[in-house]
Amino acid sequence: MTEVSIEKLTKSYGNARAVNAISMKIAEGEFISLLGPSGCGKTTTLKMIAGFEDVTEGAIRFDGQDVVNTPAEKRDIGMVFQNYALFPHMTVEQNLAFGLEMRKVPKPQMRERIAKVLDMVQLKGYEARYPRQLSGGQQQRVALARALVIEPKILLLDEPLANLDAKLREEMRVFIRDLQRRVGITTVYVTHDQAEAMTMSDRVVVMFGGRIAQIGSPTDIYERPENHEVAEFVGQVNLVEAKVESVGEGTATVTSPLGNFILPTKISVKPGNMVSLALRPEAIELSMATAGQPAATVLASYYSGALMDYRLKLDNGDELHAQTFPVNRFAEGDRVALHAPAERFWLVGVAQ
Amino acid sequence: MSRPFLTGYCLLIYAFLLAPILVVVGASFNAGAFLTFPPQGLSFRWYVTFFNNEVFMRAIRTSLWVAFVTMIISGVIGTMAALFHVLHARRSKDVVRIAMLAPLLLPEVLTAISLLFFVYAIGIGTQNMVGMIIGHVLITLPFVFINVSASLESFDPSWDMAARSLGAPKLVRFRRIMLPMIKSGVIGGCLFAFIISFDIFTISFMLKGVGTSTLPIQLFDYLRTNFTPEAAAVSTVSIVLTLTVVIISEKVLGLRIHRF
Repeated sequence: MTEVSIEKLTKSYGNARAVNAISMKIAEGEFISLLGPSGCGKTTTLKMIAGFEDVTEGAIRFDGQDVVNTPAEKRDIGMVFQNYALFPHMTVEQNLAFGLEMRKVPKPQMRERIAKVLDMVQLKGYEARYPRQLSGGQQQRVALARALVIEPKILLLDEPLANLDAKLREEMRVFIRDLQRRVGITTVYVTHDQAEAMTMSDRVVVMFGGRIAQIGSPTDIYERPENHEVAEFVGQVNLVEAKVESVGEGTATVTSPLGNFILPTKISVKPGNMVSLALRPEAIELSMATAGQPAATVLASYYSGALMDYRLKLDNGDELHAQTFPVNRFAEGDRVALHAPAERFWLVGVAQ
Repeated sequence: MSRPFLTGYCLLIYAFLLAPILVVVGASFNAGAFLTFPPQGLSFRWYVTFFNNEVFMRAIRTSLWVAFVTMIISGVIGTMAALFHVLHARRSKDVVRIAMLAPLLLPEVLTAISLLFFVYAIGIGTQNMVGMIIGHVLITLPFVFINVSASLESFDPSWDMAARSLGAPKLVRFRRIMLPMIKSGVIGGCLFAFIISFDIFTISFMLKGVGTSTLPIQLFDYLRTNFTPEAAAVSTVSIVLTLTVVIISEKVLGLRIHRF
């Protein structure tokens, strides 16, 4: 098991910085995701860890040892590519044997390890198949097996599920996560899909424009996003106008159409400031409107089986998106009361 | 345009292209003493004459040997050039490509005359086959280059990265990953080099050494003074040899050859 530490890692192309002085520590056996829109530098970071991209500045350490000048073929990494990159002229067994041959593993031991890893990815009996004879999901699992059979220090995955259909993608998420837990290998996973990052990772690194916007557990990222950009990237957000009434020690008392709250605040606000409150759609609960409660009118409702989505209009004209279980269902034009607990709000900035 | 019309049109073109060849093949089975068509009686006598003709036999051996050597040299140089062009050339990419294809764009006779001056200038002369082989390599190089480049374009760089991550050094990656995937391009290009070298006239004519006539040269020499069906027999054997190579490459190796 290997601990990875990245210090002020930078990649420049001419004057453009694809990755801009990022630092992070990845613990032994941890599953970490690099999440961000395309062009945010996540793949470049992964390629630098793998050794496929030169590092402009900074350090990458495996267990304290700087590997920046170690070529990819000597870094002892397992890598899974978006298009799997299985060798098309080799059978499954030959694909898996390739890395072991490079390590001069004796034949009997080789056969044993291949059998073991094929069992892990549930592809026993597929040894003699060629990649083109396998489905996308099976190719994906062979690619995973090929990376794992060499028992690398770290496992790197570059959007491995992007080419699979939705149902298979969800199965593979669970599959990869379980496998990673069982093997206990330090893993770096690159994705632009927030649901993938959330369900699989111990920690998520959200990246924008070559910089780290936030590192944290999926819960941190989702429920306590550092800024509005992160909040929007990992899920839907409502913004509600509010007015600061008084300011306390790191907190502010605000009045909003959804009620009055005392919220922790990281930014400096003064009484009288107008601020925006952010709130996830599923944090809002709805009931039949009764007098004296914050209320809204249902503009539209959408049924998606497990959940109901509502578009609501507050009395001040603002729109809100709410997501609830379809227990009590409301129709277009209904008046509904809104309940949202104070801890689900966060303060995102002062309106000018 | 309608399908029957196009089919008919294609058939006409094929007829136009193939008729002379069929005439030659037909004339080679002539029993008479003169090269005429339709043949006067059927016989293999001119084939027997041909296979007993030491001059022609030497020429065919020379042709095969030159074609083989040309193929090997062109194959190696052309493959290396294609590797550089596709994988490493950045700003020089277009220059490399045009330079490699230039022999196709120049009239062969110009290349031949320039080469003649060149081989004497550098002291090789035309006493042996070296000058001629240089010429053949020059003409056949673009075909190897085009075929290997085309197969390299479909080489996915992530295969190479995967092999690197698995611990394979550069040479092993070339031998075990890249070469097998571009094999069809390399073999196709080499076969092309062979066929074209076998067929080259102008270059051979200018650069041939004493007693190193290739089959096309010998045939030309022969036709200047003789007009027997033996010439047709020589041509037919030459066509069959070329066709065999093409058919082997298409059917047995299942290759897709890119000529352009």
